[in-house]
Amino acid sequence: MIKKILLTCTALLVPTLALAENAPITGSVQSRCVISVDTPGVYGNPNAYTLTTAPSDGGVLPIVRYDVTLADAYYAQITTPTEFSSSPSLSDTVTWTGSTEVSSVSDAANMGDYETNKTTFGETTQYDLTATGSTWFKSSSSATYGGNKAFPGGNYTAYVEAVCIAQ
Amino acid sequence: MVFWPSYCYSDSIQPYYGTTPNAAAGGNTWSMNSILPTPPGLDINGVIYNYTINKDVNDHVDVYVGNENANGTGYIFREHDEWKPGSLGGTEIRKVVPVIPNIPRAAWGQGSIEVEGPGSVEDPNVVYMYKVDPCFDPQYDPNCPGYVVPMPPIVDVTIEIYDATQDENVKLTSEELVLIEENEQVLEEKEEEEEEENEKRKREYRLQALADSQNAAMLVAENIRIQTMNQAMQVLVTNSYLQTSIPGGVYKENIQLVDTKINDNKKGLRNGFAQQILHELMISSQYEEKQ
Repeated sequence: MIKKILLTCTALLVPTLALAENAPITGSVQSRCVISVDTPGVYGNPNAYTLTTAPSDGGVLPIVRYDVTLADAYYAQITTPTEFSSSPSLSDTVTWTGSTEVSSVSDAANMGDYETNKTTFGETTQYDLTATGSTWFKSSSSATYGGNKAFPGGNYTAYVEAVCIAQ
Repeated sequence: MVFWPSYCYSDSIQPYYGTTPNAAAGGNTWSMNSILPTPPGLDINGVIYNYTINKDVNDHVDVYVGNENANGTGYIFREHDEWKPGSLGGTEIRKVVPVIPNIPRAAWGQGSIEVEGPGSVEDPNVVYMYKVDPCFDPQYDPNCPGYVVPMPPIVDVTIEIYDATQDENVKLTSEELVLIEENEQVLEEKEEEEEEENEKRKREYRLQALADSQNAAMLVAENIRIQTMNQAMQVLVTNSYLQTSIPGGVYKENIQLVDTKINDNKKGLRNGFAQQILHELMISSQYEEKQ
């Protein structure tokens, strides 16, 4: 309390040579590209050394949905996994394969060629979101343990990374 | 304290929402009668559909999904999916189509998926979203706005009077039949007499009413005449009073006794004695013995 008083007196005695204020400017930008997980994926285990999302092998394809309200403003980049985020201890290498394709669209005329016009680099697939609306992308992922060894028992988790990049 | 507006709706009359099963499950055309549920007050507010297009990447295919307008020409809604060259077969489309509300149920004609061009649709799924207002008919529930308490049906009771004379099973002798006919004649005569008496009473009543009205008129006229006379007399009386003038001043006693002596009235004294005698005779008479 005393410190406060002293500070107040000092302020009264000091001549005000210059005054300056900073006026804040705030704003918020609402994303016009929203990504949602439509269907979480599941690895099937057709043999001891393979984990795959292929439905024929007991897996479930992960599906993500992009909702875009501004056309020609974003790229959708989807990267299939190249490692497990959690798994039992693995002593050998894991070979990864994966791909992404358009599953569904909400506008046939303007989104029908997304799949044709996609570009792929490494495990990443990029789509040019040229129209407003919703697009569903499904990915497939397979992991093969080195030397056809059996995967150790346990739970395995991997992530498909989906991002929206402004053009 | 906050008061929320509330409506006295029971749960049974709350509007509820629902969706139909897949209308395209049996093919690419369907009748709405077999798709929509039965309750009245149903209002379709949207359509969800999806299908997978089968086509070559270089082909152009047009797909139309819609419902005809059963009450006229054209369509209630018709969505056009244009699959241009470059679009891959195997791609699914998912759409939510809003529909103008309050379209009568009867207006929803045949639904269809039409494909134009070298292609086809696979796994079509068309679902209608709807809202049902149970109080569309206010008589559905007493809690519905506009509910009118129905009038109970009035039973028309016809009472048949049993007439033994008309009964085939009643066997009457000729004497009894004659007696019945005579009784009927007597009854008819009595009814005629009663009717005549009633008519007579009515005529008398009307005459009496007419006479009463004439008497009343005469009485009123007499009263008016008397009132007129009274008013005329009152004028005369009033005028005579007004013409009288009372002179002012002091009115002194003008009767004077000359000798200051008043003589006895002998006639009065005699009368007083006679009254006294009569009084005593009357009193003593009540003590006399009755013979």
